[in-house]
Amino acid sequence: MSTRRINGIHLEKMVKNGLAVLQRHEDEVNRLNVFPVPDGDTGTNMVLTLGNGIRYAKSSEDAGAYLRSLSDGMLLGARGNSGVILSQFFKGFAVELTRSPLIGPGELRNGLIRGYRCAYDAVVHPVEGTILSVAREGIEHIRTQITRNSSIESILSMYIAEMRKTLSFTPEMLSVLKEAGVVDSGAYGFILIFEGMLKCLYGEVIDPKELPLPQTQPPVDLSLFNENSEFSDGYCTEFILQRLVNSKYRQDFNKDDFIAELRFYGNSIAVVVDGTRVKVHIHTLYPAKVIAFAQQYGEFLTFKMDNMQVQHNERDLIVEKKQEHKPLAVIAVVNGEGLHTLFSNLGCDIVIDGGTTMNTSSAEFVEAFSQVDADAIVVLPNNPNIILAANQAVELSKRKNVTVIESRSVAQGYFAMAMDIPDSDDTAFRISQMQSGIADIATISQTVASRDYSFHEISCRKGDEIALLDSEIVSVGYDYAKTILDTMAVIEDIDDKETCVLFRGIGVPEEREQELYELLSAKYPMMDFEFIDGKQEIYHWIIGIT
Amino acid sequence: MNDYIIMADAGCDLSAEFQEKYDVKVINGHLVLPGKGDVPSFMKWEDTTLEQFYADLKKNPSDYATAPPNTTEYENFFEPFVKEGKAIICVTISSTMSGSFDFATAARKNILAKYPDAKIELIDSMRFGPGFGLMVVHASILRSQGKSFEEVSQYLVKNRNRFHQAGWLDDLSFVAKKGRLTHSKAFFGTLAGIKPIGEFDSGGMTTVLGKAKGAKAAYAVLLKYIEATIENPEEQYIFIAQSSRYPQAEAYKKMLEEKFSPKGVFIIDVFPFCGINVGPGLMAAYYMGKPISDDLSTERELIERFIAESK
Repeated sequence: MSTRRINGIHLEKMVKNGLAVLQRHEDEVNRLNVFPVPDGDTGTNMVLTLGNGIRYAKSSEDAGAYLRSLSDGMLLGARGNSGVILSQFFKGFAVELTRSPLIGPGELRNGLIRGYRCAYDAVVHPVEGTILSVAREGIEHIRTQITRNSSIESILSMYIAEMRKTLSFTPEMLSVLKEAGVVDSGAYGFILIFEGMLKCLYGEVIDPKELPLPQTQPPVDLSLFNENSEFSDGYCTEFILQRLVNSKYRQDFNKDDFIAELRFYGNSIAVVVDGTRVKVHIHTLYPAKVIAFAQQYGEFLTFKMDNMQVQHNERDLIVEKKQEHKPLAVIAVVNGEGLHTLFSNLGCDIVIDGGTTMNTSSAEFVEAFSQVDADAIVVLPNNPNIILAANQAVELSKRKNVTVIESRSVAQGYFAMAMDIPDSDDTAFRISQMQSGIADIATISQTVASRDYSFHEISCRKGDEIALLDSEIVSVGYDYAKTILDTMAVIEDIDDKETCVLFRGIGVPEEREQELYELLSAKYPMMDFEFIDGKQEIYHWIIGIT
Repeated sequence: MNDYIIMADAGCDLSAEFQEKYDVKVINGHLVLPGKGDVPSFMKWEDTTLEQFYADLKKNPSDYATAPPNTTEYENFFEPFVKEGKAIICVTISSTMSGSFDFATAARKNILAKYPDAKIELIDSMRFGPGFGLMVVHASILRSQGKSFEEVSQYLVKNRNRFHQAGWLDDLSFVAKKGRLTHSKAFFGTLAGIKPIGEFDSGGMTTVLGKAKGAKAAYAVLLKYIEATIENPEEQYIFIAQSSRYPQAEAYKKMLEEKFSPKGVFIIDVFPFCGINVGPGLMAAYYMGKPISDDLSTERELIERFIAESK
């Protein structure tokens, strides 16, 4: 079988299959994370990014049109650095093919080239041995072999084979990979997507897993729907139905007919069939009818129903809240209840919960931008893996008044907030004050290794106490305090440092503050120490030293 | 001719030594201390030390309070001098922070009703603590130079907005709670390592004009600021207030001596009458210089420039 041209419908199926294959290997990709800290896993970030694109994309026979909406959704949903790079690849792909209703060999070649170039452009300091390298070499090595008569299958097969070759070289390109004895996780994930796309052409179609919700829903204020409310938005109804063979139930299940019937009851219908299970999403004014209809085929495994009017009213409320105009608003990403409260108290207008392994997406930033009414906005990503997504959000939102202060830890974010002068009318001065806040801050993060790890002279076993300076592991041992002290000693100008702020993680006993204070103040008697109950996950201690 | 009394309320933070040296009479205010109830304010550490006092205060700030001398106390303080026929210049802590000036005004009215010839001039210092104390010392020096009651009174009114504060208050929670900080949106707490740099506004409240990260950066900004605003430093005494920031004050003193060669630099303890409202963390120099602009725009510009230069 050979395909010469694909349209938007084909492409949609291929991309969905790419996602399904990536999902199958998501854990495997995550495990390639060379770092022994489960912070922002590549596999998950890529699944979420592509998944958001698919959810957002509008089906179309026109391949260019489909790609445009897919890439828009991916750009918005991009999480983590690998997600941002993936989304930029698809952006380039879409830009190249925007006027191509059909994709033939030439278009595919040009799209793959434009894709990797766009991805390179998006990164300030492109690193070889990553998605970028496989995407570039994959197509550059085969571009001359593509002719008018090449089939899509043969191009993708060659492309994947070349990418796999490059993947096997990634440890040579990037020493961290070599030390850890792995290939690059993002590059591997990228290849998996294209393998899924190719498999689709061969008829190997896999049903995608249920995607995690893009973000945790805020608690709904039920008082927004009361005796005076009007109801016109219906219920967002979601369930998984287990079809049953018992003769009580209808056995003539057919997906298309099932969907056709649901159309009588509502809209925004999505039906996914996984063996004898049927996952259904529908917006309906008459949920009882939907339930009665579905129950003819089996019983419900899960069931969820939300009054969309409440959510609608809540959105209206947010719009109203937005009216409070400010010269400068601050949006910060933090993890942990204590840090959340701290950053709110310090004057942040929106504090995004950075989650643990789930990095903030560009869409969440764009949403946050729209929630504030301010002449200028400052973003504090507080995590190196979120900075790209924040910058991408600024670009997507086309706002000129947003400054991303590239804080790489909550410690840096804390000092940025602390340096702000909210009473000043001079916004530029405030931003420069905040910018200066992140300078000269050494961040130590202390936790327990989540996996075995080896790099240069450092190696650790799962469960060892480890301490990182900025993003590098510096000390491994059995005693948490010693790892911190050892790491502090590595800081170049430690004797010139004056202040040390320590954020205590969730579950770390309070007595440890005194313990640590005594040890640290004995060694650095001139330093000021401040303990803050950050309640962050993953890291037992995050320590900012300046 | 210059046989008049110069007095101040307890907000001036002039210790017994200074009171004696400059012949300044000080009227006590009231302190509420945990376990002791209402006691007269003091300017000498007897039952406790400065460090201990501020450590205790930080733990339970709500157990502490202050009150100015009341009208009757002012009357009782004025009366013996009036009876002796002495004129009084009474300088009070800023009326934006305390009722002291109002009570003194009421007391003056009562005294005048009783002694129509009494001569009492009330001056609102528009300052607190050692900044206010420095102003009183200036008045005393002028008196010793033979300046008259009227001349000194006029001098104080004319020049009070030339008394500067250049320092930091690194724990803003106290001043914010007690309403002694000009603010609307600032975060009030200790911000580790951050030194909010404050100057007196026209009402004598401290306004944060900028922030420096770390003491070293703060000193650099402060020295530049003083250089830009001080007048005739070699003829001046400079006071440095400290509430539990002695080592930093000492370092500051050395820098000021080196850079400006003033007649003297004195580290002044902030005693409980002001300290309960300021809290620990004040480390500031007080000196005379160019008049402070009403909206602090000139001063703000300077601080912003010096902070930018220090980056």
